Amino acid sequence: MKSLHDSHFDSVEVVSSRLSDVDYIASRQLATAVYLAFNLEKPILVEGPAGVGKTELAKSMASILEVPLIRLQCYEGLDESKALYEWKYGKQLLYTQLLKDKLAELMQGTVGLAASIERLHSHDDLFFSEHFLEPRPLYQALHQERGCVLLIDEVDKSDPEFEAFLLEVLSDFQVSVPELGTIAAKVKPLVFLTSNNTREMSDALKRRCLHLHIPFPEPAVERAILERRVPGLSQALNRELVAFVQAVRAIDLKKQPSVSETIDWAKTLLLLNAEHLQLDLVRETLNVFLKFEQDIASASEQLPALLAQARKDAELPHASNA
Amino acid sequence: MQATLEDFFKALRGSDLDVSLNAQIDAARATALVGWSDRELLKSALGATLAKTVPDRAIFDQTFEKFFQFDSFGTQRAGKAGTPPAVVPPGEPLPSPAEGSGQGSGGPGGCHGSAGQALSQLLLSGDSAALSRRMQQAARDVGLTDIWFFTQKGYYTQKIQQAMGLDLLDREITEARRQSMAPQRVAELERARKHLFDEVRNFVERKLSLYGTAPTRELHDDFLQTQKLSNIDRRDFARMHEIVRKIARRLAERHARRKRRELRGQLDFRRTMRANAAYGGVMFETFWRSTKVERPRVVAICDVSGSVRQYARFLLLFLHSLDELVSEMQSFAFTNHLVDVSATFAALPVEQAVDRVMQAVGGAGTDYGQVLQDIDAQLMYRIDHRTTVLILGDARNNRGEARAEIMKTLYGRARRVIWLNPEPVSFWGLGDSEMKRYAPYCHIARECNSLRHLERTLDQLLRTNSASA
Repeated sequence: MKSLHDSHFDSVEVVSSRLSDVDYIASRQLATAVYLAFNLEKPILVEGPAGVGKTELAKSMASILEVPLIRLQCYEGLDESKALYEWKYGKQLLYTQLLKDKLAELMQGTVGLAASIERLHSHDDLFFSEHFLEPRPLYQALHQERGCVLLIDEVDKSDPEFEAFLLEVLSDFQVSVPELGTIAAKVKPLVFLTSNNTREMSDALKRRCLHLHIPFPEPAVERAILERRVPGLSQALNRELVAFVQAVRAIDLKKQPSVSETIDWAKTLLLLNAEHLQLDLVRETLNVFLKFEQDIASASEQLPALLAQARKDAELPHASNA
Repeated sequence: MQATLEDFFKALRGSDLDVSLNAQIDAARATALVGWSDRELLKSALGATLAKTVPDRAIFDQTFEKFFQFDSFGTQRAGKAGTPPAVVPPGEPLPSPAEGSGQGSGGPGGCHGSAGQALSQLLLSGDSAALSRRMQQAARDVGLTDIWFFTQKGYYTQKIQQAMGLDLLDREITEARRQSMAPQRVAELERARKHLFDEVRNFVERKLSLYGTAPTRELHDDFLQTQKLSNIDRRDFARMHEIVRKIARRLAERHARRKRRELRGQLDFRRTMRANAAYGGVMFETFWRSTKVERPRVVAICDVSGSVRQYARFLLLFLHSLDELVSEMQSFAFTNHLVDVSATFAALPVEQAVDRVMQAVGGAGTDYGQVLQDIDAQLMYRIDHRTTVLILGDARNNRGEARAEIMKTLYGRARRVIWLNPEPVSFWGLGDSEMKRYAPYCHIARECNSLRHLERTLDQLLRTNSASA
């Protein structure tokens, strides 16, 4: 079995091509950031609108590196007992009950309380050992023999306290468990943190991470993504579709359609055996990539104009290599 | 190359992008990995390590373009000083100032003799590459990256010219003139000298815009914070707004956090069980959920009449910033009657909101008596032992009725009454000022006419507030 650091990336191009092998089309900036994160062993904070492939990036890296992906989904109220470890207190209680007799045996021959406690002390903290520990994602990540890709998803949703707690993990790849001492990573994991920017992350956190912002992709990149993700889509439709989505992103919407929506839409159109974008067809399938009623309303108003522009953009030769 | 990186950090700081030491180390390691040969690659590598937010990234991109452009020395024929310097094509090694640093340590004394000789030749032959290199090296020798003010432009221009060998060029010109056998050569040399001056000056100007902004801005900010609010120019409003916001956010953050720690909510059963498993399920230690965050409830009342007009803008500015941050805040403005401006603050961006309020509320003479009556009628029922009342005004009542008894009621009901007066304490009670009569019914009555004052007072206010909570 391979370990995380058996893999090597000699250059940014290698990262790009390996990512594209697993159908993840990376911009050069993205590939550079990943390359640096891997070689500098730094966590990487990925920001950007929803659905541009932030989480997908971590998954792809895990499959390239052939190591497990451990995911920690953040939410308000997440605390260390859910992120790091938890004692199996049920099991602890059960064991104390079951072992009562054994305890009595153990205590035989001791006189007085002090001696009993002395005797107990001669045994280890049995009930606070790893047998009774319920590992949570962070603990698991540090314990992987071969290393792993650790994905801390939507870190902006967690509380500031939890963010502070993360700092130790991110800078030293170790955590302190009061009962067990400090646990250091066996192999430093490759860490991705994603954020949708619902709140500003603290400076301390940002300082420990490389920063990567994934914007909506360029037309050429988006076309390449569609080619990979929706095989069977005709070139012409691909071109029109991307041009249309790009045009839609330019108008004022509550939520702009993202790459994942483009893919969904492409799949839908493929299913409907569409050859070209037709006005009616677009109008009927708008709800696949626009998720708000008012967005759909404002888009359908401008639909003929958008469609015309998309057709024009798709025709232009420069659009194909832009 | 290290020197070039350091200069680049300096330039980033010049563009108001803070670069932590940690990030600098990362950047150095990153460049060691990716090398200098590919411009785009270098840019994304430095960007990933140095810029930590999207706005930062925009600043970074801009500074990068400015910094890593080729400071070409335009030749006389090839174009005047105005032509934009060419951007280094990707793939070509960067013409970094560091190139010069290697040679620069070679001892300036020795090389200047021949260098000076060469300067006139270089200028006349229009050897742009060599001149650029010479200029870069000279800039490094005289420490151009330390430039601060536009007034230093002349100094640095002169210094760089000298380091490039101006003295020898001058001597050559004098020599040629004395011999007076080649007037054409004299004219040529003089033209060359003028050209040199233009080019160097342009170069220095570019560098000033790169390095000079940060220290001057800091100085300016410092000035704005300590200046009397009434003396601050209208054009500094935007900058001021930024400072005020920063202060307000700092205050709100600090105090929200303290508040949260103190509050105790529901029993956190899971955590309690978990912690007490060690005691066989007997609840020794209890843990409490603290999800409810109670922020200070503030009622702010601001005088916007003519006498405090100068301050009012900034006080409103501050209220607006605080309003964005404190959840339970109500803002009022008044001259002769009370107007609720919370809605305006919530709906409009700051500049417009302040203007709107000044227009709508400002105008006629102040009437504190009427305003207090309004407070009594409209507000008093909402004020209780959890409310902090913040009054901003000079208490100049145009000899109207003071109605200090309402202040007394207010004092009795509210958790805290704070009066911030832009006038110095020695002016209180003089003329039509009623401050002396209101002051006894305030928990805190203070002079407050600069941002420093404001920050200090409010910080203290919020601290004592939560300490006694």
